[in-house]
Amino acid sequence: MSSGQNSGGLMSSAGLVRYFDAEDRNAIRMDPRTVVAFGVLFGVGVQVLNAVAI
Amino acid sequence: MGWKEAAEPVLTRMPTVAQPEGHVPFKRKLGWTAGILVLYFFLTNVQLFGLDTAAANDLFGRFRSILAGSQGSILQLGIGPIVTASIVLQLLGGADLLGLDTDDPRDQVLYQGLQKLLVVVMICLTGLPMVFAGNFLPVDPAVGQALGVGDFGVKSLLFAQIAVGGILILFMDEIVSKWGVGSGVGLFIIAGVSQQLVGGLFSWQGLGGAAGFFPTWFAILTGQQSISSPLTAEGLQALFIGQGQLLPLLTTVFIFGIVVYAESVRVEIPLSHARVKGARGRFPVKLIYASVLPMILVRALQANIQFAGRILQSTWSEMPAWLGQYSDGQPIGGLFYYMAPIQSPQQWMWWTAGTAAEPWQVLIRIAIDLTFMIIGGAIFAIFWVETTGMGPESTAQQIQNSGMQIPGFRRNPQVIEKVMERYIPQVTVIGGALVGLLAVLANMLGTIGGVSGTGLLLTVSITYKLYEEIAEEQMMEMHPMMRQMFGSD
Repeated sequence: MSSGQNSGGLMSSAGLVRYFDAEDRNAIRMDPRTVVAFGVLFGVGVQVLNAVAI
Repeated sequence: MGWKEAAEPVLTRMPTVAQPEGHVPFKRKLGWTAGILVLYFFLTNVQLFGLDTAAANDLFGRFRSILAGSQGSILQLGIGPIVTASIVLQLLGGADLLGLDTDDPRDQVLYQGLQKLLVVVMICLTGLPMVFAGNFLPVDPAVGQALGVGDFGVKSLLFAQIAVGGILILFMDEIVSKWGVGSGVGLFIIAGVSQQLVGGLFSWQGLGGAAGFFPTWFAILTGQQSISSPLTAEGLQALFIGQGQLLPLLTTVFIFGIVVYAESVRVEIPLSHARVKGARGRFPVKLIYASVLPMILVRALQANIQFAGRILQSTWSEMPAWLGQYSDGQPIGGLFYYMAPIQSPQQWMWWTAGTAAEPWQVLIRIAIDLTFMIIGGAIFAIFWVETTGMGPESTAQQIQNSGMQIPGFRRNPQVIEKVMERYIPQVTVIGGALVGLLAVLANMLGTIGGVSGTGLLLTVSITYKLYEEIAEEQMMEMHPMMRQMFGSD
């Protein structure tokens, strides 16, 4: 911990998908709440469809 | 450099999750991570609309534990597309065919866009054959009639659902990476494996599946379940690999121990500050320097080969026997049999009743699996180190930029790089090969809950990383000064 080398930059989170700080002005930005809300609605929607069909 | 300009308008416009402005408090980070986890578990329990669940069979099979998701749910694809896209990117990036410099902000944007685009392509490449080619996601005919769209319409609906599920996983991963702790992919793998582990330990017969370790032993000890005498060969077999599951338990504990131990095995390169006397540090080159994550890429490659085999088998009725023979969706002969990794003790212990294959066939299969995993593990570890900026050149630059130097050497990135080159490549190859060997070994001996060696290795090492990250976060919470040091303000 004394140097802090290892934790800086890109190595920190060992994810398969890498995200950088740079962003393009053109990019479509979404609020994380929107994504979660969409996920919940989508799940509930499919559940309702299942319930209606059976 | 033609492709960059051509692809730029598309790649820069890929939707992204907004980045947090400023520091996100640790509690909020935990909140986001937990929230995404709950959403993930919810979605794995939402059954696909229009699916005939009784006839469905899982194309991912035993690879499910590392590809996450859940058969027949809208997260049918799990992290499969992300992993496959990552393989392609690793191979392209590792061979330096992309020509993207990840230090350049413009190239970073392109890289991120390319990642997303590839994931979407892979969603189509795995999702379309899954729905349309084999009979892996059979259509419920009643739904087709009720909606009046026929089989094709319902199949399109199924594909639309799993595609949305795949894209959701991608964005959920992005939320965890940007707003939470660790990464979404890691989180989903641990979630799935832990669920299986807990099930394998505690679940009882009443729940439907096979009884777990503790209920079985409770039944054996109280005499409700009979087991043949441990003095006979059959009795011993039943105790260790049969219902007693002693060997899987030992393997599981052994893998836990060895990963935690290997995390602490490292070569430490001493550093001192060029200007501030007495400021010292160490650069650790860990034994599993590249982390276990490249392993998932090798396994996924095997999974994709098997996937191709089953698609071929289900669509091509005169498949030659040397290519593959199947029974109940499992390869029993031909090339695809030898390419299939060993998933459980029953698949290779030819002296038990588990496998019908000849000993020499089993040995060839083990040899291929070992070669694939050890060499593949080493190769992907090297690529991983190169593409994630952990290679000698990038680390030398990082050390140089932080104002540190290796005592006794000139303060020059090339010199530091020379020293790093003595350790990083060797450690990476040894680490990658070791992890590959461990994964095959664990699979051969079996694990509790059938979580597969790779799944277990991934889970333990991801959890360890997560623990380190949480510890670091907490330190930053307590000492705001540290935040500047870590540069994550």
